[in-house]
Amino acid sequence: MLKKLFFKNQDKKQLIIAMIGAFMGITFLVTSIHYLIKVNEFGEGADILGPNTIIVQKKVSNSSSLNLTKTDFSESEIQKMKNEPFIEDVQPVISNNFDVSFETADPMVPRFRTDVFIQTIDPEFLDVKSDKWHWKEGDEFVPIVLPRDFLVMLNTFMSAQGIPQVSDDLAKDVKFKFTLKNDTDKEWADARIIGFTNEVASILVPESFMKYGNDKYSTEKEKKITQIMIAGKESEFGRVEEMLNERGLESKNSQMVVGRLKSMVGTLFLVVLGISVIAVFVSGLVLIQYMQLLISRNAYEVRTLLRIGYPPKMLINYFFMYFVKIFGIIAASGIAVFFVFKFFLDEMFESGGLYIDTTLSYQSIVSLIFAYFIFSFASLRNARKGIFKDY
Amino acid sequence: MNIRFEQVMPFPLSSIKHGEESIWGNKVRFDSGEKVIINARSGKGKSTFTMTTLGLRHDYSGNVFYNDNDIRNMSYEDWTDIRQTKISAVFQDLQLFPKLTVRENLNLKNNLSPIYNEEELRSLLNELGIADKWDQECGILSMGQQQRVAIIRALAQPFEWILLDEPFSHLDEENTQKCLEMIHQRCDEQKAGFILTTLGDDHGTDYDREQKL
Repeated sequence: MLKKLFFKNQDKKQLIIAMIGAFMGITFLVTSIHYLIKVNEFGEGADILGPNTIIVQKKVSNSSSLNLTKTDFSESEIQKMKNEPFIEDVQPVISNNFDVSFETADPMVPRFRTDVFIQTIDPEFLDVKSDKWHWKEGDEFVPIVLPRDFLVMLNTFMSAQGIPQVSDDLAKDVKFKFTLKNDTDKEWADARIIGFTNEVASILVPESFMKYGNDKYSTEKEKKITQIMIAGKESEFGRVEEMLNERGLESKNSQMVVGRLKSMVGTLFLVVLGISVIAVFVSGLVLIQYMQLLISRNAYEVRTLLRIGYPPKMLINYFFMYFVKIFGIIAASGIAVFFVFKFFLDEMFESGGLYIDTTLSYQSIVSLIFAYFIFSFASLRNARKGIFKDY
Repeated sequence: MNIRFEQVMPFPLSSIKHGEESIWGNKVRFDSGEKVIINARSGKGKSTFTMTTLGLRHDYSGNVFYNDNDIRNMSYEDWTDIRQTKISAVFQDLQLFPKLTVRENLNLKNNLSPIYNEEELRSLLNELGIADKWDQECGILSMGQQQRVAIIRALAQPFEWILLDEPFSHLDEENTQKCLEMIHQRCDEQKAGFILTTLGDDHGTDYDREQKL
């Protein structure tokens, strides 16, 4: 009866327009948040380096070959880059200053030995648990991060020997050892692979091991910093790239492409997200306004119901629940259409070579719940205001 | 429940001189179960009295008490309880819902604290000669028919007092008597009182006292 009393002969045009607006806003809000997160997550875990991290060096030109310009980084250069607003962190990549060779030390694999170039980077840049990434004198083995190309080379060698190739996981069980030496001293240290990287060409070791080797076996003065690691902020890769060009720095192309792609797609979804938030906000306002209009058009009915003994809370709940149900329908429709969008967008990304994670991001659902609660709260507040005005 | 008016003076009536027997500006008490007629000319504040007693108007000085509770201090919950179970009213402008049928208007009230079933409601309408209007929208009924619906609606709740603000102004004598009989019966059943405002006509009904405005 209350439904007939309040809603009969009401013009629903405004309500329908607001519902369509809110539905579109909610759909794009959930979709954009989901893909913004998935695109930002793209690349995480694939490499042991963080997803927004690149290793850069100065471009080698004819003048630098003739020692006219420097190819190393000074402290002040590093500090200046650190101060850029789009830079998360900059750290030098430290190289070995002593002779080191690397060989297999496992009866299961044939002997393979080579002189190597080892480097260390700040653990903050590595996607490994800190308890695994440390070394001190007397430890059983040195944890290392191996360039994936190295494993390919090892597998090629093993294949030539007629021995089965090893996978990433199996390689982590193979024992290796380093030989550290100078003209007078020599020492061995067992090593174990804890991860792989496509982005670094050298073997990465913990800083303490590098310091130990450099202190004990180095014959030269401190080595120059020729490579640095830069971690850019999410979706700011364009500005990082601009800075690299300005400063004559270069990085591996694959890192640049992924960073550029993520930055572009991320920005696109950020724009969609902004528009969606505005759409949800505006349509929410229109819905709230419709509620106010509905209550004011029913001022006589509300007043009379209160006069004959209807509890204000009952009337507040009636209007509140009506709009909560409407928003529920909008949210459910938005989610349903999001899943349809997701199905097609995931396929589109995949066919375009962007293999993003297809699992549902909880943040998009949280955003929907958040929008729902904000709207519910605003509805309740307005319903209370409208009803008590006539008390 | 007793109702007390202490020096109550509605602001719109403050410029008018009121006598010592008037409700306005004096101490007046309505004892539980009393049947009172308020006889007054137009403009003396009959509807103001009804609205003030029901807590619907606040533009007055002085105090109104239910027993010893000042109605200004009552909460929304208190008023809901009062209007559902203690005081019923027939408003001068009836306050029906014109877009709802007679059945819906009556049920809307009766459902709050059910007193009658639909058969009994129809039977009451039948007594007042409007049973055939059951499914008609109130908005298309004559004023006399609407008054009868409003009276039945006011009776369809438990109450200790029923306030009747010129409830028979559009009724013929026969229907007025039928309505009065029905009101007396409901009041007697519940040991309730009524306060009936009229324009000088007591309709020949029984009452305990007359109060001036």
